[in-house]
Amino acid sequence: MRDHVEEIEEEAGELNLVPYMDIVTNIIIFLLASVVNQVALGNVNVTVPTISQGGGASADDTPPPKPPLNLTVSVGATGFTVAASGGVLPIIPKLPNGQYNYGALTSKLKEIKSNPDNLTETKANFNADAATSYDVVIATLDAMRQEDIPGGKILFPDVAFAAGIQ
Amino acid sequence: MPMLENEMSRLEGKKAIRSYARKLSEPEVIKDLNITPMMDMMTIILVFLLKSFASTTSTITFDQNLQIPKSVTQLKPKLAVTVTITKKVLLVEGDGVAPINYGRIDPAMKRDGENGYYITPLVDILEKHAKRERRVAELTGQKFEAQLMVVADQTTPYRLLTEIIYSCGQAGYANYRLLVLKAKGD
Repeated sequence: MRDHVEEIEEEAGELNLVPYMDIVTNIIIFLLASVVNQVALGNVNVTVPTISQGGGASADDTPPPKPPLNLTVSVGATGFTVAASGGVLPIIPKLPNGQYNYGALTSKLKEIKSNPDNLTETKANFNADAATSYDVVIATLDAMRQEDIPGGKILFPDVAFAAGIQ
Repeated sequence: MPMLENEMSRLEGKKAIRSYARKLSEPEVIKDLNITPMMDMMTIILVFLLKSFASTTSTITFDQNLQIPKSVTQLKPKLAVTVTITKKVLLVEGDGVAPINYGRIDPAMKRDGENGYYITPLVDILEKHAKRERRVAELTGQKFEAQLMVVADQTTPYRLLTEIIYSCGQAGYANYRLLVLKAKGD
């Protein structure tokens, strides 16, 4: 009887968890290594302007709403051109080393933003020469979005690509 | 009589000392280590890591044909239909759509020829994705957000970018998330 009980106990035994633990440990080490080597990715949001249906002439005497700023930043071969409803500003030339002057662009946009009429404006259009490379596009969008200092002033984060049509 | 008692207590003392010395020389062997809490912990870590691994966009492979630009943005990427522009090929969700030669799409792939913006195979495939996403949004009672993630090589010319964005717009996508490397911050 005693032998029989011992035999049953031996058969039931304890589950050998060591292989399972080996696998789990290996997977954890692999995943941790993957997470550590991961590059930090971010994204820049842009839109394309949508076609709106023009409203007809209104009969009532309500004053027309404030005209939109229609700020447009264009990247050309010689530098940045900033234009808005009020007109076109002088071109912001490239630096002597051939790089675009992103700091000057941010300063100019900060100046525009500080106008009391434009404090709530966040939209801007973007345009560039056909040959402008994508890294210049992204750097310009950065310069348009926010001052490049910690806690910098938000300028025009809602950028629309002028060439896109929906 | 007291002598006998003294002798007995001396012997008992010696016995106790010997027993203690034996105990010291033989360290206790742990026969049954309870590893269940450790396994619980490891399983939780494994599930957590798998979850965080799956929710990132680390499946994009960067090589010499795809080097994305750096940006100071702090926005985190969200999953969306991905359009990838490498130096050699245009891909949608990892599937090749059209070859790219020196920053230009083959004119045969465009509806309006060399100067056209409409890239026919790109519009066709994105329309299918947009239809699927609209259907999913309908079934889940959510709004179709019309978002695309654009992963482009840093040398991509703006002309090609606008052609692709124009084509994406024709397929119903109006919001673009341009994937970049975070230059600083977290």
